[in-house]
Amino acid sequence: MTRTSPFSVRGRRALMVMRDERDISMVRRQLNRLGMTIIEHDPAEAPPSGENFDVIVMDVDSIPLKSGTTAAWKASAPVIALIGTETPSRLRWLLDLQPASFLVKPLRSAGLYTALVVAFDSAQRRIDEAAYVERLENRIRSRRLVFAAVLQIMRGHALSESDAFALIRQAAMRHRTTVEQLSADIVAVGGMPNRTTRSAS
Amino acid sequence: MSNFSVRPPGVLEMKKPSIPLGLVFSQSGPYGMMGGELLKSALMAIDEINVCAAFDFTFVPYLRDPGGVVAAYHTACDELIRDERVDHIIGCYTSASRKQVIPIVERTERLLWYPARYEGFESSDNVIYVGAAPNHNVVPLVRHMLDHVSSDVFCVGSNYVWTWETNRVIREIVTSAGGRMLAERLLELGETSVDHIVREIIDRKPPVVFNTLVGESSYAFVRALHEATTRAGLAIPMLSCSLCEPELKLIGAPASVGCITSSAYFESIERPENRAFVARWKARHGIDSNPSVDGQSTYVCVMLLARAIRRAGSTDVAAVRRAAANHRYDSPQGQVWVDPDNNHCFLTPRLARSVHGCQFDIFWEAEAPERPDPYLSNLDLAAIGLSPEKSNDAMSKRPNHLRIVK
Repeated sequence: MTRTSPFSVRGRRALMVMRDERDISMVRRQLNRLGMTIIEHDPAEAPPSGENFDVIVMDVDSIPLKSGTTAAWKASAPVIALIGTETPSRLRWLLDLQPASFLVKPLRSAGLYTALVVAFDSAQRRIDEAAYVERLENRIRSRRLVFAAVLQIMRGHALSESDAFALIRQAAMRHRTTVEQLSADIVAVGGMPNRTTRSAS
Repeated sequence: MSNFSVRPPGVLEMKKPSIPLGLVFSQSGPYGMMGGELLKSALMAIDEINVCAAFDFTFVPYLRDPGGVVAAYHTACDELIRDERVDHIIGCYTSASRKQVIPIVERTERLLWYPARYEGFESSDNVIYVGAAPNHNVVPLVRHMLDHVSSDVFCVGSNYVWTWETNRVIREIVTSAGGRMLAERLLELGETSVDHIVREIIDRKPPVVFNTLVGESSYAFVRALHEATTRAGLAIPMLSCSLCEPELKLIGAPASVGCITSSAYFESIERPENRAFVARWKARHGIDSNPSVDGQSTYVCVMLLARAIRRAGSTDVAAVRRAAANHRYDSPQGQVWVDPDNNHCFLTPRLARSVHGCQFDIFWEAEAPERPDPYLSNLDLAAIGLSPEKSNDAMSKRPNHLRIVK
């Protein structure tokens, strides 16, 4: 899997959800300079569905504070929040949106690039972390399988629990597979599977 | 137009130097009525300064009317600064309009004198906030509600930042005191279909209703709720931190009677400065006309600015800001002065009950003007969130907070 550097922004697609004309022209000009593709969206309307964006630049003051609106915006692309009102009620709403980065209004030409880089980087980190968590969860889910395989080997080879586990681990290393995968095979065939080793030893 | 010579007072035969003053009030659009009230107050204060021998200059007002269009505020201020060369602008009513103006006054180093109470969480070096901060306004009313009415509250408000933030403060204080926010119902700005909310209140019979609706929505709601509770034989107290005398007139009796309201100014304040102010107001605008909290605050803006210019001997923004800091002015609402820490004003919080004749009967006021706390960073939830016996304790430790005046 090749990953895009957070510093390369050319060609990425930005959805602008903004109301104020001066802010819009400022952001539009900067995004054009950076070579990004711009799609503009009326904040009064529901989030667009079906389209893919790499980032959403959102004037959070332009969206009414009603329950449900954050859920609709969540889960799509990373959000750069443009903040005017720093009241805790608005910031609470913003936290639910989990913005990847933010800018404080009034906007200046400086700052948007940093916000984009931080947003792309944190979006990538979120993807990486989600994948890592999924791997850990898979491992937890297969604990019962490993336990069943250890029991099988203990009975079949008259070994202690720790010796049985050591045997499975060594076999997994020899077969270049995971303990979890080998355990699944052991449970499936009712004993240590007869694999040809690909190791050099 | 930054400097002028200071001459001894009383030399009226010489023409006084004039200072251009920007006024930005929307006299049309959704809050045109309030804009008109603020303008009347500003012009009254300017006329008083212009004929007063104690001031060595006159103000020449330059008025812009953005018509309630948020984006037009930026253009209006840009024109005032560029074409009329004003250093100081008095105006804006909503937070949205103030936030439009802040970038331009910050960039050009001008000063906006902002008269309205607002939800806080802002502090610009280029704005003097003369209206109430949330600690002057919302907090005393919620405290009163907890101590004397109920800790379970039904909230109704307009769907914008003032209600969102007020409700957030109410919820925090109420829940920390072991109470509940029973409902949080929102209406779009200007919406007057209130029957579904009134019906829900009659069905659920909450011990108290907190109303943060604004304008026509509020008037329609107060009238409809009064009619429905009367028909159902219910007495549900209603609280507001924005109603003012001209609005009581628009609601009309008997619905306008009995609302518990928090404000730094009521027409009924018994201070010689206020009696004289009300008399001048009625002489100028008619015996049936009433000043309002935001109008009085606009008047205070002009007075604070005039005094700061006189002390500074210049209209230069940095000099005026320094001269305004901590300088006490005996306004109609009592002593007012600018806290240089955050550019908001020391004001005296008051609570009142609306009565017949479109007036408020003040039943509590703080003993002294309270330091503005725009970020509510000194709000001690633990001290408020105590049971009644303990909260009496807390009150005796806080003598400044509760003093019964009637």
